[in-house]
Amino acid sequence: MAAAIETKQLTKSYKARQAGTINVVDHLDLHVEEGEIFGFLGPNGAGKTTTIKMLLGIIYPTSGEGYVLGKEIGDMDVHRLISYLPERPYYYEHMTGLELLKFYGSLFGITDKEKFVQLLEKVNLHRDMTKPISNYSKGMQQRVGLAQSLLNDPKLLFLDEPTGGLDPIAHREIRDLILSFRDEGRTVFISSHELSEVELICDRVAIINRGVIAAQGKLTELLKGGRIEITAEDVPASLLSDFNIVDANIRTLPSGLLLDMPEENDPNSVIDAIRAHKGRVISVVPRRKRLEDLFVETVSTPGVKS
Amino acid sequence: MRPILSIAATTVGEAIRRRVLLVILLIGVLFIVVAPGLGILSARSETTVLRAFMLGVIQGVSMIIAVILTVYMIPNEIERRTIYTILSKPVQRWQFLVGKYLGAVLSLLLMMSMMSAVMGVMFFLQQQSKNPGEIADLLKGPAMYFIQMCLLAAVGIFFSTFLPPLVNFFLSIGVFLVGTFFNPLFQTLQENKNTAPMVKLIAQGVNTFLPNFANYNVQNPIINPTQQIQNEGRYFLGVTVYGVVYISILLIIGILIFDRREV
Ligand SMILES: Nc1ncnc2c1ncn2[C@@H]1O[C@H](COP(=O)(O)OP(=O)(O)OP(=O)(O)O)[C@@H](O)[C@H]1O
Ligand SMILES: [Mg+2]
Repeated sequence: MAAAIETKQLTKSYKARQAGTINVVDHLDLHVEEGEIFGFLGPNGAGKTTTIKMLLGIIYPTSGEGYVLGKEIGDMDVHRLISYLPERPYYYEHMTGLELLKFYGSLFGITDKEKFVQLLEKVNLHRDMTKPISNYSKGMQQRVGLAQSLLNDPKLLFLDEPTGGLDPIAHREIRDLILSFRDEGRTVFISSHELSEVELICDRVAIINRGVIAAQGKLTELLKGGRIEITAEDVPASLLSDFNIVDANIRTLPSGLLLDMPEENDPNSVIDAIRAHKGRVISVVPRRKRLEDLFVETVSTPGVKS
Repeated sequence: MRPILSIAATTVGEAIRRRVLLVILLIGVLFIVVAPGLGILSARSETTVLRAFMLGVIQGVSMIIAVILTVYMIPNEIERRTIYTILSKPVQRWQFLVGKYLGAVLSLLLMMSMMSAVMGVMFFLQQQSKNPGEIADLLKGPAMYFIQMCLLAAVGIFFSTFLPPLVNFFLSIGVFLVGTFFNPLFQTLQENKNTAPMVKLIAQGVNTFLPNFANYNVQNPIINPTQQIQNEGRYFLGVTVYGVVYISILLIIGILIFDRREV
């Protein structure tokens, strides 16, 4: 599959207060496939928005290269095929939802009112489309923003913290919309620190910290290395020494034996052995690695940055 | 062209909802309405003072509106992040800037037309149709001011591509005042035989460089009591061309700055 976004050593530096410059985005190598939902994760100030702005040509890289849909960044033709929902967006408040779509539509030369109404229906705002945006709730503003971002039927969407500051119901609505974008064959690039959100919908992620990529890849692969906890009773002591599992913790609890082992070390054979020796398996609990663990792990690792 | 017009229309939509501008406009209209009733202004059988007063109000109010309208134009778009969504669409930066400028010009046209219409009506009522041709003559003043304000708006937008609003506010007004009063001073300097050549040269430089706002003040009978324009149509055309050229240069430099700028 072709790359929707590709950056090579993309760097943005600003003059620091005291001395010299700091790399807010530091030699970034990103790779986003067409048709996937890509999560761009990082703590506050990591450089997520800065990266997106560079990819959109709103600010200029200090060095490095970037390609969006195969074209070098800054290429105006690409702007017909992409769209952008800024973080905490603000719209001209005197407009109604419908007027807003008319305005942004006109920037593409789109004047089809039916299309505007359709989009507003898609984001469930058609009943409020003649109300001024200043009267919209945050969730409604975010939804009108998504409607706006679909005007040109984009192949690639940049969504900067699309669920920031929204309640759980609004979260869910936005999440469902984003999933529908993928079903329609669009590529979605989401910047976020709402990990639970990203975990549910993203195919691949990159974790960025202080401008540097700390991890990038398929979510399923990054989250490998989960553990399994097996609780069992009546396990003969002789068996314990036979297990010989790498990186396992065995503890004796009042309720029995607790065996905590890496997922990839074949827990099935352990369970079989226990049962073969007349032991009783009480529970098998997978302790999946969560995105949050990975995030905290990568972000708090010191010395990533030189 | 379409994006430019949409951006201009949106800018007008915003401008006519800005409370500050509306209040200033209202004050201007109010002054024009009460002017004929003020004893000092209508005491003389001559209408000179009344004319000058009304024109002065229109000019002053338009100047403040032009400056307030333009100094916030780019900084506000950036601060409110409305510019990001626009620039992520197939809109070039020059189109954005020209659209914004056009919006400012249209807003000025709207607001100045309103004040001029009120002035025309008040003048007509006061004169009791003694000479309707005089009203048409009177309206030439605001027409000139309109071009003057278009020039001022270009100065404001030009500075707003790289300066914060407050600095720009004083700078634009400063440029307007200097550009209004320097030219007459320059004329005197040139005519005076005692002026040192060096001073003349510097004055010449400043005069060419500064926008000449004085060009557009000829209709005010108090400011220019003696000035006689031989060929009015030609004069008007001349200063209009001057304005358009100057505005174009300002916008082009503004675009070059804005293109390189981080937003
Ligand atoms: N124009 C600028 N001049 C100097 N520093 C800047 C500028 N713009 C951004 N920065 C710095 O760059 C860093 C990254 O900012 P950025 O907005 O990209 O972070 P982010 O990952 O989007 O964070 P958040 O989650 O808070 O949105 C921050 O430390 C910020 O202070
Ligand atoms: Mg951000």
